[in-house]
Amino acid sequence: MKRILVSAVVLSMLFAATAFAYEVVDVKNGGSIKGKIKASAKVDDLVLTIDKDVEFCGKSQPARMYILSPALEVKNVLVFIEEVQKGKAAPKTDITIDNNKCVFEPLVGVAYKGANFVIKNSDNILHNTNLGLLLKDKRSTVYNLALPTKDQVITKPIRRGGLHAIKCDAHAWMRAYLFVADHPYAAVTDASGSFEIKDLLPGKYKVTVWHEGFAEVTKEVEVTAGKASDLSVTLSKK
Amino acid sequence: MQVIKISKAVFAFTILLWGFAAITASAVFAEENRTLELGKIVYEKHCVICHGEKGDGKGAFFAVVQEASLASGIYPRDFTIGVFRFRSTSTGCLPANDDLRRIISSGILRSHMPSHPDLPEAEATAVIEYVKTFFAEWGQMEPCKPIIAKKPAWLGMPDSVKKGEKLWKDMKCWECHGDMGKGDGPKSNQLKDDWGKQIVPYDFTSGAAKRGDAPEDIYLAYTTGLDGSGMPSYEDSMSDEDRWHLVSYTLKLMGLVK
Ligand code: HEC
Ligand code: HEC
Repeated sequence: MKRILVSAVVLSMLFAATAFAYEVVDVKNGGSIKGKIKASAKVDDLVLTIDKDVEFCGKSQPARMYILSPALEVKNVLVFIEEVQKGKAAPKTDITIDNNKCVFEPLVGVAYKGANFVIKNSDNILHNTNLGLLLKDKRSTVYNLALPTKDQVITKPIRRGGLHAIKCDAHAWMRAYLFVADHPYAAVTDASGSFEIKDLLPGKYKVTVWHEGFAEVTKEVEVTAGKASDLSVTLSKK
Repeated sequence: MQVIKISKAVFAFTILLWGFAAITASAVFAEENRTLELGKIVYEKHCVICHGEKGDGKGAFFAVVQEASLASGIYPRDFTIGVFRFRSTSTGCLPANDDLRRIISSGILRSHMPSHPDLPEAEATAVIEYVKTFFAEWGQMEPCKPIIAKKPAWLGMPDSVKKGEKLWKDMKCWECHGDMGKGDGPKSNQLKDDWGKQIVPYDFTSGAAKRGDAPEDIYLAYTTGLDGSGMPSYEDSMSDEDRWHLVSYTLKLMGLVK
């Protein structure tokens, strides 16, 4: 009897919890958000000075931080909707994070809760891949994995959502950024600063435009069925 | 007729069940509230001075530490980001209740976190539940299985120490902790913790470690990783046997075996 009561209680609590989870539905004739992200002025890319494992990594490295086209279109900007109640299912694709020639590949990406981080070391030196949620003036470690051996691969489930910053404690210049969610509504801009987020249910969405070197912008965008809403933003350097 | 009677009984029983469920639910919540109330009292008596009202590590003692600018990386833990170092669980996991219980009772010598060996069981349990409330996601994260550290009979034997010495090199512990374990390796001068503050690798020749210096503690430190500190987990990069050989070698660095 007691067991039944307890399970009834647990069940009702579970029910309350699922009320907040992302709801997967079939999206037919959804709308989209697309646009171009530009910089307000020309910014030169930085050169990083390297002072660890110089024999292997070299003495300096382009930061690949400011990748701008002649028209000031910015590559590698993350455009994402932080919270979505309802929409299409996120893909189950894993994301590979490679420690390759002392940089992380990719530098910027999108990953999905429920899939895996596949972390790889292609270098013949020690790297450690330290994933953490990027918070205001601090971070929150999600995994910190040592990869002391070349060609080592470690797979870990993606459990927490939000903007992740990846660092390597052994090499302070190494970094990468991933947006992780339980929904698929996020994108990274290409070399022409363009992005597209497809198959959204009609409604209002809070969209964040994020890049490590520019000030963050959040905008509300209205999406209508079967149409593309424009979100073109000009970013200023941080 | 018979059928209706039965279904009436079933109906009445269902209503009764829901009633009971509601009462039990409120009893469970009341019980939980009492625990948290006690936890808050214990926290305010023993912990708030360092860990702060909001659990963000900014208690009154925080200011003192900053003013005196003591050695790097020593300040009370901020519980709000849900990152803990001295766990029996894998990297990325929350600690088990027993891990927290142990920290509270034995303290962290090296970091000025006092021990509370005489705290009554009910108060310890309550303060643990209270500490969890500072991290909003605690209830949603799936608990992880504790890793059992079972030391082998050959621990500290010359052959194992020798194997451990090679692993110390190959696994690159020396890059942070130094050739002789003094915490002075080539990567030791630029490490930052989750709060962006400088942190230094453990000096094996200095005696007391933060989580304890029993072989099991050393084993768990690099098996689980000390999340938030930059000390990574080697659970996926070394076999269990190798991890114990490495303990043998660290015992030598600590001067505990020849
Ligand atoms: C005198 C200051 C002080 C007091 C009092 C204190 N702590 Fe701490 N505590 C610390 C410091 C400093 C650390 C961080 C140690 C480190 O990692 O360097 C810490 C860390 C912790 C941790 C994190 C352990 C981990 O695995 O990362 C927990 C949990 C904790 N304290 C709980 C408590 C509780 C509960 C109380 C009250 C019963 C308490 N502390 C009282 C200073 C204090
Ligand atoms: C990227 C740098 C780095 C590497 C590589 C590294 N460590 Fe650490 N280690 C640290 C830091 C930083 C700390 C200090 C954490 C603290 O004070 O809270 C630490 C702490 C420790 C401790 C805990 C001592 C205590 O206070 O409880 C042990 C044990 C340890 N390391 C063993 C190892 C072993 C063995 C290896 C190799 C398998 C290794 N470490 C590799 C950075 C590193």
